[in-house]
Amino acid sequence: MVGHWPHLRGRDTTARIMWSVAAALAPAAVFAGYVFGCRAYLHIGLAVATAVGAEAVITYLRFHRRSRDGVKATWWRRSGMTIGDGSAVVTGLLVAFCLPAQARWFVPVVAAGVAIAIAKQAFGGLGCNIWNPALVGRAFVHVSFPTDMNPAAYPVLTGHHFLGNVGTAVGGMAGGADAVTGASPMAMAKSIATQGYADVDVLKVLTEGHGRGLWDMFVGTVGGDLGETSALLLLVGAAYLIYKGWIRWQVPLAYLGTVAAGALLLPLYLAGGEGGAESAAWQPILLAMPDAALRFVLWHLLGGGLMLGALYMATDMVTSPLTNKGLWIFGAGCGVLTILFRLYSHAYPEGVCYSILLMNTAVPLIDRWTRPRIFGHKR
Amino acid sequence: MTRATFPGGVHPPETKWTAETDIRPLPLPPRLVVPMAQNLGAPAVPTVERGQAVARGEPIGKPDGFISAAVHAPSSGTVTGIERVIDAATGRTTAAVVIETDGKDRPHASLPQEPRPWQSLDGDAIRQAVADAGVVGMGGATFPTHVKLTPPKGKAIDTVLANGAECEPYLTCDYRVMLAEADKIVTGLRLCMRATGAARGIVGIEDNKPRAVEAMRRAVAGADDLDVRVFPTKYPQGAEKQLILACLGREVPTGGLPADAGVVVQNVQTACAIAEACVRGQPLIERVLTVSGDAARAPGNFRVRIGTPLAALLAEAQVQEGYEALILGGPMMGKAQFTADLAVTKGTSGLLVFRRAAVYEGGPCIRCGACVRHCPSWLNPSRLSILGESFLAGNLDAVDTAMEFGLMDCILCGACAYVCPSRRRMVHLIEMLRGERRKALERRRERERAQAAGIQREVEKVAD
Ligand code: SF4
Ligand code: SF4
Repeated sequence: MVGHWPHLRGRDTTARIMWSVAAALAPAAVFAGYVFGCRAYLHIGLAVATAVGAEAVITYLRFHRRSRDGVKATWWRRSGMTIGDGSAVVTGLLVAFCLPAQARWFVPVVAAGVAIAIAKQAFGGLGCNIWNPALVGRAFVHVSFPTDMNPAAYPVLTGHHFLGNVGTAVGGMAGGADAVTGASPMAMAKSIATQGYADVDVLKVLTEGHGRGLWDMFVGTVGGDLGETSALLLLVGAAYLIYKGWIRWQVPLAYLGTVAAGALLLPLYLAGGEGGAESAAWQPILLAMPDAALRFVLWHLLGGGLMLGALYMATDMVTSPLTNKGLWIFGAGCGVLTILFRLYSHAYPEGVCYSILLMNTAVPLIDRWTRPRIFGHKR
Repeated sequence: MTRATFPGGVHPPETKWTAETDIRPLPLPPRLVVPMAQNLGAPAVPTVERGQAVARGEPIGKPDGFISAAVHAPSSGTVTGIERVIDAATGRTTAAVVIETDGKDRPHASLPQEPRPWQSLDGDAIRQAVADAGVVGMGGATFPTHVKLTPPKGKAIDTVLANGAECEPYLTCDYRVMLAEADKIVTGLRLCMRATGAARGIVGIEDNKPRAVEAMRRAVAGADDLDVRVFPTKYPQGAEKQLILACLGREVPTGGLPADAGVVVQNVQTACAIAEACVRGQPLIERVLTVSGDAARAPGNFRVRIGTPLAALLAEAQVQEGYEALILGGPMMGKAQFTADLAVTKGTSGLLVFRRAAVYEGGPCIRCGACVRHCPSWLNPSRLSILGESFLAGNLDAVDTAMEFGLMDCILCGACAYVCPSRRRMVHLIEMLRGERRKALERRRERERAQAAGIQREVEKVAD
């Protein structure tokens, strides 16, 4: 048996890429246990197991054969299961990463099940889905179990509470002994944006930091969803993937860049918030206290699910555009939507998930606009 | 020194194991199988009969039309028959003249000729000499060279490119020829310039062959109208259109020929053959090729007669039995063969034998975009391959959609499939779509002809 040319192939394979993404996510997964206690591992385990299980069952039903190409093959090959390519593991990890630790145990199961069964396999499996499966799963549980997903009540652990937390990990998290319930940084940032910048308390927050400082947000010892807190670990993993070319740097750069620019400039032009916040109030802050303004921008960059979304969700190959130009547009679009959600949506302090899902929808259009000029053709 | 290149392309491992092995002449095999279809276009028509004695360089096949090439006896001996053999390039069968060699290698009466100064030849004389010698493109495309040297009406050729890029991994034959016969290449280049009226000649070489660059630079030293250009090593740097873009910044328009960009491209071995044909009247009866691959214990570069059975080469390169893959050409665009019962033709640049066959089962496209970034024709191979699958699944409109996506602009280089992490069979699917497109065109023509005939009948009926 000899195949069609080329007879040489590159080293990258789908499985290699997917398992590498899983490996890049692993440090953040381990760290989640440090911050949120071993209940984090319960969630991650449940989400990954559900994702892999659903993928195995569905692809078995879809693809299993008596034989492959008329030749005898191992049972594994005949079963047609695609869990070896690692994509289900990645989806499971990402699902768990955007759930809070205090959610009830079946939330990760439902989220991962929806992600694989509906968002991925119902669309035709790997490569055919329009929306990022993990985000669809998250969006599903977000609407279905809003109380489990309330970021305002995210517990924050400080120091070494891993063991002390074992008891609560099994029973349910809310109000665990060592848990400090505090607003997630994102909710804070939003209230700053919407409730008037002239507020003295807010200024204090901006200049001195609130509870968790920027350093905590960078390292990840803050409240939030399981995998999203540590910008540092997420960046380390992403740096490796970018070096390998398996996530495209254009997306996070455009995404984070537009969010930063938006956080800096949007409050100048748009009045936001319930109390009719004065947009004029932002100008003196910007001019007189650039370090406070910078802090605000960093809060937006480090807070909430932005790092996780920009580095691992928006960069999902399947649901992002094909061309470099398209990736810039896609990343910038995600950024614009995210900052608009964050600053001006009343119900929802976090915009990453829905921004990316919305931009996923636009990918076919972006691909069409950014079709490269073919060799020898006029534009 | 220009270091320009084309946007796109890939970097497969070079594995040019045989780069430092000298060209070795292969002993004359006892039997030569000379196919008549060794060129793009119409196969030659055999002009000898069974039992006839032939001399080296004697014509044994005459061209069938303009886009066709003459075939000559590679050595002296007796014609033992005209057989049907498999054409390695197309997989179809073709006639081949089988010659039992007598070992004397007696030259034909017309050989050897007194060398004549190439400066004395005009365009028509050059084209005639090249056509008489049966020269075709030796880089693998096998387009009859005299046709290439006939500039289409109204198209001025200003540059001739000698293609020494040799971007395929493993292959080193062009490299060795550049080292050994730099002057001959330059003569061939000059002849091409004369034939086409081009004012400039450029030798293009990849930067992984510094010694060849040096040799060619020495050979063109002192000539204002000749130049050697070095390109970054990247596949497919040696593809005609990509070479022209890198060299001159010109794009061959879609559906066009290099002549539409004012350029003629000749492989360096073809340039040698042109020089031989014009200066000494020597027909194209031998070439240099590379035998390599992990199943060859003594890989090397060999000068072989056209028609040499592959078995002789395999033996010379000490190929172990039990190899799984046999490829004619390079690993990127060479054609895998099911049998070693084939012969060397004018377009055979390499013979690769591998212990393990590389069979790839393509998975679904994960939209990584690698193929889009690396396609040297700036296509969307992901889309084309998905359209191919869609066609196989019964969507007949996929061919038309693929046309909008530049189906015909693909050069079938395989760069997309090389980088694809899902191991998709891009080239296979694109070729299939192209075949379907051709069939559809034929059907349309057929229908139009039938319609025209029908109308004719109607008209006649009315006239009656
Ligand atoms: S084979 Fe065709 S589509 Fe693929 S890279 Fe080469 S030119 Fe592009
Ligand atoms: S390289 Fe393969 S997997 Fe990646 S976009 Fe192209 S066809 Fe799809």
